[in-house]
Amino acid sequence: MGVYVSALRVPKRGSTLAECEDASSVFPDAGSDVWLTDPVSVALSDGASESLLAGEWASLLAESVVGALRDDGRALRDRRVFADVLVDAGKAWRGWVREYVANRRATGRPIMWYEQPKLDRGPYATLLAARFEPVADAIAWRAAALGDTCLFQTRGGRLLHAFPLESHREFTSSPGLVNGYNQDRALVARHVRTMSGRAEEGDQFFLCTDALAAWFLAETERGGQPWNALCDFTRSGAVDEFEAWLDDRRSAGSMANDDVTVVHVDLG
Amino acid sequence: MSYAAEISRANPACFVFLVDQSASMNDPIGGEIPQRKADVVADAINRLLTELSVKCAKEEGVRDYFHVAVIGYGHAVGSAYTGALSGRDLVPLSEVADKPARVEERLKKVPDGAGGLVETTTSFPVWVDPVSNGATPMCRALAYADSLVSQWLVEHPAGFPPIVLNLTDGESTDGDPASAASAIATQVSTDGAALLFNLHVSAAGASPTTFPDSDAALPDAYSRTLFDMSSPLPPHMRSYALQQGFKVGDATRGFVYNADIASVVQFLDIGTRATDLR
Repeated sequence: MGVYVSALRVPKRGSTLAECEDASSVFPDAGSDVWLTDPVSVALSDGASESLLAGEWASLLAESVVGALRDDGRALRDRRVFADVLVDAGKAWRGWVREYVANRRATGRPIMWYEQPKLDRGPYATLLAARFEPVADAIAWRAAALGDTCLFQTRGGRLLHAFPLESHREFTSSPGLVNGYNQDRALVARHVRTMSGRAEEGDQFFLCTDALAAWFLAETERGGQPWNALCDFTRSGAVDEFEAWLDDRRSAGSMANDDVTVVHVDLG
Repeated sequence: MSYAAEISRANPACFVFLVDQSASMNDPIGGEIPQRKADVVADAINRLLTELSVKCAKEEGVRDYFHVAVIGYGHAVGSAYTGALSGRDLVPLSEVADKPARVEERLKKVPDGAGGLVETTTSFPVWVDPVSNGATPMCRALAYADSLVSQWLVEHPAGFPPIVLNLTDGESTDGDPASAASAIATQVSTDGAALLFNLHVSAAGASPTTFPDSDAALPDAYSRTLFDMSSPLPPHMRSYALQQGFKVGDATRGFVYNADIASVVQFLDIGTRATDLR
């Protein structure tokens, strides 16, 4: 058994790709046409738009979590261990920010008064991580999440699992978020959700940031099979067509205008 | 009519602040620490503009999610910006943030981590100075706001409805402001009616009140008139007010008496909120 992994990332309408505050990380990073038979780790993070440097934090968080999952999936089995990984990413963040502030000063663009309060509060982002491990004729998977970035497992014509949210009504503008300066490991652990399962050949996993995830669940609740449309884009890597398709749904009001990232773990 | 329109750079919203700058604003407000009304409203406006700028700040600058006018009324009715923005009406928020007249350093007490307080300095940008001069042409000021709102809605017919925030001691000298107020509240985008909120600064006594749902505890005719003029808070704003610890009901209005109104900025959605885990 093995998997293909592909990802698409599109900014909200009116923003540039550089302004997109979603970030994903995959290990091994082998390309979407490579059949991966070793364990695969994926992290997807959505920076909170009201915080400063949210995209940079989302990226650092996703990289840190995948780094921790490369050798084993222990962090996904124990919420406290997962919380430790998230809190430890904050240490790296503090170093990153020191360099960022020094660089701004050195280049004649010191931190402005309107940035300082948000810089002091630190950045905020969601985090969803999953690990897919081939075992005999199946894939054993585990996931952990803090916030509203979701994982969906589909089989044939049905949605098998939705994690950590299960209904489009659960999405709000105040999801659980990992703050770069939060060192309260017990508090973070209380908000971590975990899940595990097995997957068979032909199963599909979609890891989606909130706007796409909410639409995905709403479509499913209406009896639709939204994964079919997503497969067309992720398998072809057609990001421009995906963006046009997202814009149609945003214009129709069926999807919020937000950054969108989807990571597709394809079991063939 | 749901106050759900996206607020973004492509779909900005509009804030019109009206600042009473009449001679009566030289009087002190009630309370333990006597402060001139003019100082209170100037501080309130400067804090609101600061909160709004910080809310919309990103690393490349402040994003133009809002366009903001500050209109003074006293010996004249017109822009109350001082410094580089002097004479301007609606200004994109990025320009507001980049062009305060000055940035003062003010003392602020913060927790010292051991249960006490320690003084520190904080940046306090200033766009509006305290002024107290002339009569109180509130009706003309509301009509001025009405014309800005009207023009805005021509250009942004589907946007989040404009918000007008009037800061005053309530003593209108050019007639009953009720009809000018209701003219604003009848202006609509496809997303809802324009909102008129009021901050009343007064020496009449009575407890500071934030977002009341009746005028029963208000001390005088001025505060009751301003309460009546104020729009009910839309449901999503009520729920944010509730989250911030205010007691709100279905009839809660955008009215504040001798209290801080800067929290109104947090009622506006510009994306995922940066909230701490609890």
